[in-house]
Amino acid sequence: MSRTWLALLPAVDGSTSDPLAAVPVPPSAQADLHSADGGFLGVLAAWHRPGKPVRDAVLVDAAAIDPHGAPGWVSLLLLPRDRAPLFDDPAVSGALRAVLAGPPADVVSTLVRDSTHFAGAVTVRRDAPAALADDPFARLGRPLLARVGGGLFGRRPAPAGPVIQRYAGQPWPAAGFGP
Amino acid sequence: MVEGLEAGAVLADITLPDHNGVPRSLTELAQGDPLVVVFYRGWWCPKEQAWFRSLAGWQPEVEVAYSRIVAISVDPPGELAAFRAGLDARWTFLSDADRQWLHRLELLETTDTVHHPYTPTVLVLHPDLRIHSAYNGYWFWGRPTLEDLRQDLRAVTRVLRPDWQVPR
Repeated sequence: MSRTWLALLPAVDGSTSDPLAAVPVPPSAQADLHSADGGFLGVLAAWHRPGKPVRDAVLVDAAAIDPHGAPGWVSLLLLPRDRAPLFDDPAVSGALRAVLAGPPADVVSTLVRDSTHFAGAVTVRRDAPAALADDPFARLGRPLLARVGGGLFGRRPAPAGPVIQRYAGQPWPAAGFGP
Repeated sequence: MVEGLEAGAVLADITLPDHNGVPRSLTELAQGDPLVVVFYRGWWCPKEQAWFRSLAGWQPEVEVAYSRIVAISVDPPGELAAFRAGLDARWTFLSDADRQWLHRLELLETTDTVHHPYTPTVLVLHPDLRIHSAYNGYWFWGRPTLEDLRQDLRAVTRVLRPDWQVPR
C-alpha cells in the first residue's frame, strides 16, 4: 500500500547547508521554508512510498502533494508524541468543523503518526495568507507559519464535508475505505 | 416523481460550481459514501429555511456516519455561501444559476414564475449515483423526515459496507 509521508527537515542553526544531504531516500517533492523576514527554516519534503523515509515523517493526504505546485504560505503544526491528542478528541473535531465552515484553503490535511492520534496538520494558502493566522488547528498547538517554495503543495477544492472522521486511519480529508 | 428520478435509476454525474465557485461533480463529492442530494428552491423560501435548519441540526450525525450531503439550487455561489454560513452547514452547496441541470432533470417548478427555481426534491443515492429513494417536496410534508433519511442511509450503508456485520 503506497502512502504519502511529510517531514520537516530543519536548518542547522546558522547554516544554509542542505538538510536533505543526510536523508537516505530522495523525496518525491520538496520545497524550502523561509520565515517572513527571509530566514531559511529548512526543507519540507514528501515521499510516496510504503515505508517511513525518515524518523520524524508523518502521513499526509496524498492529494495535498504536487511536485509542480506553486509557492505559497504554510501553517504547519507538528505535535510531539507526548502532546498529541487522540484524533477523536473534541478539540480535533472542533478544528475540523471550523475548517469545513471557514474559507477554503488551497491545501489542508491532518497529519497521522499512528492509528489513533492526531499528529498535526498542514494548511496552505496562496491568495489570502493572512487567514493562516486563524488556522483552526492552532487551538491544538502553535503552528509554524512560513513561506513555502514551489514544487510541493498543490491546490485542492474544499473538503466535501460534513464528514469529520478518518477512513481506516488515513489523514483527513482523504476518503474511502478501499485499498 | 419525475420520470428518471425514481428508485433504481442512476442520476447523472451533475457538475456545477460549488459555494466557492469551484466546479464539483457529485461522484467527487460522494467520495465513495452514501449521498443525500437536496434540490431546493432558494434561500428566500420559508419552507427551505425550515427544512435546512432541520438538516443542519441533523449534521452532527452525518459527519460521523461516513455519509454526504449536497444541496443544489439556482442561487449564485455568493448567495449559497451566505446561506450555508448562516446555517452553519458544513456540506457542499452547488449553484445551477444557469438552470442547465434544472431543465435537463425536468425539475423546474413551473408555478413559481418569479424565481424559476427547482421543485424541492430529495434523492438518497448509492456512491455510484444509483437512486435508493426519491422524495417530491413540492408540498412540505412530501419531504423525507430525518427518520426517513436515517432508514435510507442505513439501507444503503448496509449494502455498501462489507463489514456491516461485525467482523469476528
